[in-house]
Amino acid sequence: MKDADAGIVMIVDDEVMVAAALRSFLELETGYEVLTYTSPVEALPALQEQDVKVIISDFMMPVMDGITFLRNARVARPFATRILLTGYADKENAIRAINEVGLYHYFEKPWDNEHLKMVIRNGIERCTLFTELDQRVSALENANAELSGMRRKLMQALL
Amino acid sequence: MQADSGALLNDDARANANAGADTPAVPDALTDAVTQARLAMLGMLVAGLAHELNTPLGALNSNHDVLRRALGKLQGILADEVVTADELDEVRRVVRAIDGVLRVNDMAVERMSELVRNLRSFGRLDRAGMDHVDLHEGLDSTLAILDYEMRPLVVRKEYGELPAVECQAHQINQVFMNLLLNARQATPPDGSITVRTRAHEGRVIVSVIDTGSGMDAGRVAHIFEPGFTTKGARVGMGLGLPISLQIVQQHGGRIDVQSSTGNGTTFTVTLPVRQATITTVQGGKT
Repeated sequence: MKDADAGIVMIVDDEVMVAAALRSFLELETGYEVLTYTSPVEALPALQEQDVKVIISDFMMPVMDGITFLRNARVARPFATRILLTGYADKENAIRAINEVGLYHYFEKPWDNEHLKMVIRNGIERCTLFTELDQRVSALENANAELSGMRRKLMQALL
Repeated sequence: MQADSGALLNDDARANANAGADTPAVPDALTDAVTQARLAMLGMLVAGLAHELNTPLGALNSNHDVLRRALGKLQGILADEVVTADELDEVRRVVRAIDGVLRVNDMAVERMSELVRNLRSFGRLDRAGMDHVDLHEGLDSTLAILDYEMRPLVVRKEYGELPAVECQAHQINQVFMNLLLNARQATPPDGSITVRTRAHEGRVIVSVIDTGSGMDAGRVAHIFEPGFTTKGARVGMGLGLPISLQIVQQHGGRIDVQSSTGNGTTFTVTLPVRQATITTVQGGKT
């Protein structure tokens, strides 16, 4: 399986038929592992355990709305790509909240499968790149700290 | 030249004007406002329905696309009339997808059928006249139609035993819708609405209880006056309650209000189980 076709995608929608329709599509057309949840409250703990690369969430849900969920998801998985899937009536509120959660893309229902697939693929790539970048920055910071330590020791030895 | 407004009326309009000559005159502005308020409510109803339909439609739309793709994959596999082991795995994947699609389609079709059943029940277009009605059925249909509008509030049903009530169902449902929408708009997202019913000495009592901001006595005194609103101009234009009161009074009933600032509001509709005289309630424009 190609890397571009691997990764975990999480779908959160209180309407089971939406979550299930997306699952059928992604399992037929892609190699992604698909996790579906009808409750954002139940989806949050799974983010701690699973290396989710793309999160697709509904907006209007009981108990916790999609923006609050994605804000929490951002804390748990900062590099995961966040996508909102809204009903038309939610549009105004959703757009207002987009910047709050660093949204990558938003779709209106009914959605276009092909477009969604492309955005998910780009989202997975984006998440992978961010993760790699973060690892390299960490490696650089470690190397830098190590060099500073050696420099300090050298200076102490010479002076 | 002095304009004669009567000269501008066509024959039909003149006939209508004459027919209404012996009834108390209703100011045109108020009649227009009542019509506007009913249209505003209808607009909200339609917007809610569009949203309710969008979920099953979205699922069916996606599933239709999945079935087309699944068929394409099967045709590709069968093109050379040989199914290899790898292709067999693909066939299994396709079968799983179709199975998932069919399950969701069942749900989507049931959801849309239920929506139509609720709409029929709400409008009672099949039985527009005075009838013996199960008010719980009307409340359930109204709540189902308002399902999206009510989110994320918790709605509790505390139904007692009710006899069939003689009334015009679509008008009484309009009252329930007005009271529920008012409660919704007064209540914060973490609040709740309780719908309580009971029967007492030949009357039925339906209460809509919210945990919203409530009103002081000064406001309560004015809420049944046309044009009074605590909300933005967009919603109902302050006529939902006057219309509701009119409908309930025409049925020989009453609406009571209990409210205080910070303690929520309870609207109680009391209706006689039987109408005193066999007359048809004026339908008005709905």
